[in-house]
Amino acid sequence: MAGVWVFAENYDYCLELLQIGRSLADKTGVQLTAFACGDKGIGQQYIYYGADQVFILPPLAEDQPLGTYVPAIVEAARQEDPDIILCAATLRGKEIAARVAAGLNTGLCSECIALAINSDNKLEMKRVIYGGAAMQTLTCKTRPQMATIPPHTFTPVTELDDTRSGIIKEIGPISSTPVKVLAKKPRAKESGDITRSRVLVCVGRGVEKEGDLKLAGDLAETLGGDLACTRPIAEELHWMPQETYIGLSGQKVKPELYIGLGISGQIQHTTGIRDARVICSINKDEDAPIFKISDYGIVGDLYEVVPFLSQELARLKKK
Amino acid sequence: MAEDKFTAIIVGAGPAGSTAAYLLAEQGIDVLLIERGETPGCKNMFGGRMYSYALHRIIPEFWEEAPLERQISREVITMLDGEKSTSISCQDENWAKPPYHSFTLLRAEFDAWLAAKAEDAGAILACGIRVDDVIMEDNRIIGIRAGDDEILADVVIAADGANSIITEKAGLRSKLSPADLATGVKEVIELPAKTIEERFNLQPDTGAAHLYAGTCTQGMSGGGFLYTNKSSISLGLVIKAAELQKNQYMLVDLIEDFKNQPSIAPLISGGEVVEYSAHLVPEAGISMAPRLFSDGILVTGDAAGFCINLGYLVRGMDLAIASGEAAAMSVVEAVKKNDFSAASLGIYTDLLVKNGVWSVMEAYRRAPQMLDTERLYTSYPTLLNNLLADMFTIDGSPPINLIDKLRQEVKNSKTSFINLAGDAWKGGRSL
Amino acid sequence: MLNIIACFKWVIDHEDIKINPETHELVLDRAGYRISDYDRFAIEEAVALTEQYGGSTTAVTVGLPAAKKSLKDALARGPEKAIFINDPAFHNLEPSQTAAILAQSISNQEYDLIICGEGSGDLYAQQVGPRLAEHLNIPCASFVRKITIEGRELIAERRVDEGIEVISMPLPALVTVLPEINSPRVPGLKDTLSAAKKPVVEITASDLGQTFASCLETVEIKATTMERNCEKFGAEKDELKRFIDVLCRAGVVD
Ligand SMILES: Cc1cc2nc3c(=O)[nH]c(=O)nc-3n(C[C@H](O)[C@H](O)[C@H](O)COP(=O)(O)OP(=O)(O)OC[C@H]3O[C@@H](n4cnc5c(N)ncnc54)[C@H](O)[C@@H]3O)c2cc1C
Ligand SMILES: Cc1cc2nc3c(=O)[nH]c(=O)nc-3n(C[C@H](O)[C@H](O)[C@H](O)COP(=O)(O)OP(=O)(O)OC[C@H]3O[C@@H](n4cnc5c(N)ncnc54)[C@H](O)[C@@H]3O)c2cc1C
Ligand SMILES: Nc1ncnc2c1ncn2[C@@H]1O[C@H](COP(=O)(O)O)[C@@H](O)[C@H]1O
Repeated sequence: MAGVWVFAENYDYCLELLQIGRSLADKTGVQLTAFACGDKGIGQQYIYYGADQVFILPPLAEDQPLGTYVPAIVEAARQEDPDIILCAATLRGKEIAARVAAGLNTGLCSECIALAINSDNKLEMKRVIYGGAAMQTLTCKTRPQMATIPPHTFTPVTELDDTRSGIIKEIGPISSTPVKVLAKKPRAKESGDITRSRVLVCVGRGVEKEGDLKLAGDLAETLGGDLACTRPIAEELHWMPQETYIGLSGQKVKPELYIGLGISGQIQHTTGIRDARVICSINKDEDAPIFKISDYGIVGDLYEVVPFLSQELARLKKK
Repeated sequence: MAEDKFTAIIVGAGPAGSTAAYLLAEQGIDVLLIERGETPGCKNMFGGRMYSYALHRIIPEFWEEAPLERQISREVITMLDGEKSTSISCQDENWAKPPYHSFTLLRAEFDAWLAAKAEDAGAILACGIRVDDVIMEDNRIIGIRAGDDEILADVVIAADGANSIITEKAGLRSKLSPADLATGVKEVIELPAKTIEERFNLQPDTGAAHLYAGTCTQGMSGGGFLYTNKSSISLGLVIKAAELQKNQYMLVDLIEDFKNQPSIAPLISGGEVVEYSAHLVPEAGISMAPRLFSDGILVTGDAAGFCINLGYLVRGMDLAIASGEAAAMSVVEAVKKNDFSAASLGIYTDLLVKNGVWSVMEAYRRAPQMLDTERLYTSYPTLLNNLLADMFTIDGSPPINLIDKLRQEVKNSKTSFINLAGDAWKGGRSL
Repeated sequence: MLNIIACFKWVIDHEDIKINPETHELVLDRAGYRISDYDRFAIEEAVALTEQYGGSTTAVTVGLPAAKKSLKDALARGPEKAIFINDPAFHNLEPSQTAAILAQSISNQEYDLIICGEGSGDLYAQQVGPRLAEHLNIPCASFVRKITIEGRELIAERRVDEGIEVISMPLPALVTVLPEINSPRVPGLKDTLSAAKKPVVEITASDLGQTFASCLETVEIKATTMERNCEKFGAEKDELKRFIDVLCRAGVVD
């Protein structure tokens, strides 16, 4: 049965894919199928939220990684020949999608941020390339047409219709893989979700040492906002948690106000703040690229500017 | 651990070093060319124009393959004085025909190309490596040191530019003082090719060279330049380092002022600054030149002081190339004799005389003194501009007698006819 | 003894990308190229592992003949040899083609481990690694931040959305690595000199005996633009006050 298939490792992301998947399926007049990992109850929910069919993948043994599902997904697609497969672009989701695409010898648009059906009834997909400097529009010549969709790209379906019915099919059994999960270390919930922050103070390499993060923290606090960072701060220096860095490979944020401190403004970072309402930056190099994409830029040393700003803002607040 | 040995090691892949490496490699001599930048040219800057003759001698019709911007077909010299300016413009269409007189170019591309020519010819190019020292044995240079690595060579060619540490470490010259140097600062401003052609009245391939003297340097010794590239303009100032230090001007402020000059602003309006850089220029002519050779070492290009700075005009690339050529030929001779002593390498000076570098340097020997004449940057531009502005201003007042006017202006400018005549004499001789 | 293959890509230096302001097309013709940033971590990890466990590293790249320039840089970073798979036809390859070409070229090599970067500097598709593993039918782990080898087992710490997963898999296997895994060394003069002497095996399209059709079709590529106010302030007190004032009026500070 041709159709649109969606796969996400978690429930919320699957609801996002059901939203966009439903509209694509309606436009092309085909059915919408969702994968549910290991749970029939969830499968039923997906139908209430718009799926016409759900494939229930068998539960995984404790030591089996999510990638164990790849051969099963490939096999199902070989048999049923779907038109489109969408995967949530979680870290594991990206790997699974690439392996499925290889198994099916088909094209995959990674981290697709916009989808449309063109006049040839084909899926037209957009993604950023060159670190965010350009937008590429693609179609897929082979079947199925595949894309991974970054979480939060589409709003999840919220309308539950518990009168909907659909087919629930169980897939399996599946064979285990030689990859074994030895341990899972969930990360400590040290930070909030910066994708929801109204105000973000973002630090870059211009901050000289870890202790100086307090400067930025104070400013964020005065503004009632959260702290974020560039990739090197999280990935190379480990001063801040992974999930607080913004950019191409990090979080895409849409705060009302973004203030960047000591950030050069490389495209891979700024592509993550495209949707901020007001962008401010503080950099001592007046030619720093960040000024070109800032609404308001202060040319100066953050060590002088930031304490004064915090102090002034606190004073204003008291009034 | 020094199992590696080369016949020649060249430090610096600028025009001097790459030319020498190219010619040596062409002769089948094993040569190592070391550059500290990630790619040759990535850190190099210059005004923007290279005279063609020297490279044409080495790579005939190099313009067919080299990354170049425009052929210069018009030269303009402008005396600036605040709101007033006087320009002399000269156009020669022959300049824009083979063998072209001069080209504008961008160093990042040009230097990379020239170094690649050397590499293709068989030279080994090592980029991203800074040479820290030379290795000496019995007062002979026998190799170089970079980080923890030591590499030996029969001869080392210093082509490491104005602030050459190789000549210093080799004991060929003492540390440079600000009096020996000028500072150059340059911006590259992007504009569509069409706009440049319209504003400067150019053809798609031809370009203009504008040189500025007068108030652009706030009275300090130096001058300004503007060169047209394909779709950008190179604009900058060269100022004596000592005066810059003394007057505590910020380079960025000076170049901002320069850009706001009424005769410049409209030329660059709407353009976007895509590059800003500063670099040293050897200032003192051959009077600052180090010893040009010694046992196991030769010095070329800016490292040897082969650069002419007339304030409004800096010229060094052709001399760097020509001196690189002379150095390569000296090494070829030394290889034949298998003698890399100072006596053997001394042929270098003869070759420099023969290929013209030396006579050029001799001819401009007095340029540095000329540049020291402060009047050149203060009084004279005012004098000239007032004179001509008055001459062209028709407002109903009685006409002025030019000679009287000149006398008046000379008096106002607090200079004297003796000075004027003296400077004209000096200037004439140094040009 | 480990035979490790490190895959790297020669990509356009994104800082050199210019945009035609009228058409919003990219101007790439004068841009420089470099080894993709993330692949430096892949090469470093391969070399560090062979230093630790013994063995040798082969650096592999697929590209246009002009990518030859990358080999010296790659080899200066420590691999013993390189495989250069090149052809004028390998222009704008997409991940499915790159992975297939790599798989075909590597299939007759002996290897215990293949290391890729997390994504390439230009496309950042994050596909070539897992696709290659699938073609070669070997297990794979992506976004790895730590690798240890125990006999014929590889233990990896990989990032997943909710934290870290420690996994083991038998060799031969493929991993893609994150920048946090190491700090790539800066090659010295001797490294650069020895790179020039290291063996390079060249493979061209005709050696591979098949063609590699693309699956995707590019409809268009347009520069992304970000139009902002671009107002600059100085660092003096009155300027900073004016700055705060502007923010207040914009309604983002209360
Ligand atoms: C494929 C790819 C994906 C990437 N993804 C991301 C991503 O998702 N997110 C990300 O952030 N990066 C990403 N990067 C990295 C990105 O290219 C940049 O390297 C990074 O964003 C630079 O971080 P930075 O601005 O903090 O540091 P730098 O570029 O080092 O800039 C530091 C700035 O601080 C200024 N400064 C220094 N001292 C002071 C002071 N006292 N006061 C004021 N200013 C000062 C300096 O002038 C400079 O401009 C990616 C790169 C690649 C190749
Ligand atoms: C502002 C300005 C404007 C100018 N305008 C013009 C002009 O319009 N026309 C003109 O002909 N000339 C001009 N010049 C002069 C011209 O740039 C120089 O004369 C010329 O570049 C000299 O060439 P070179 O090869 O000797 O040295 P450079 O071009 O300086 O090259 C030296 C090379 O050595 C490398 N290096 C230095 N130290 C080390 C080390 N320790 N280890 C390894 N590598 C090292 C450097 O990175 C560099 O690549 C100008 C100069 C300036 C500053
Ligand atoms: N042309 C190539 N040659 C060799 N390896 C490549 C090539 N393209 C991608 N890779 C490898 O695959 C990884 C992911 O690339 P990509 O899927 O394009 O993001 C890179 O980090 C490289 O390790």
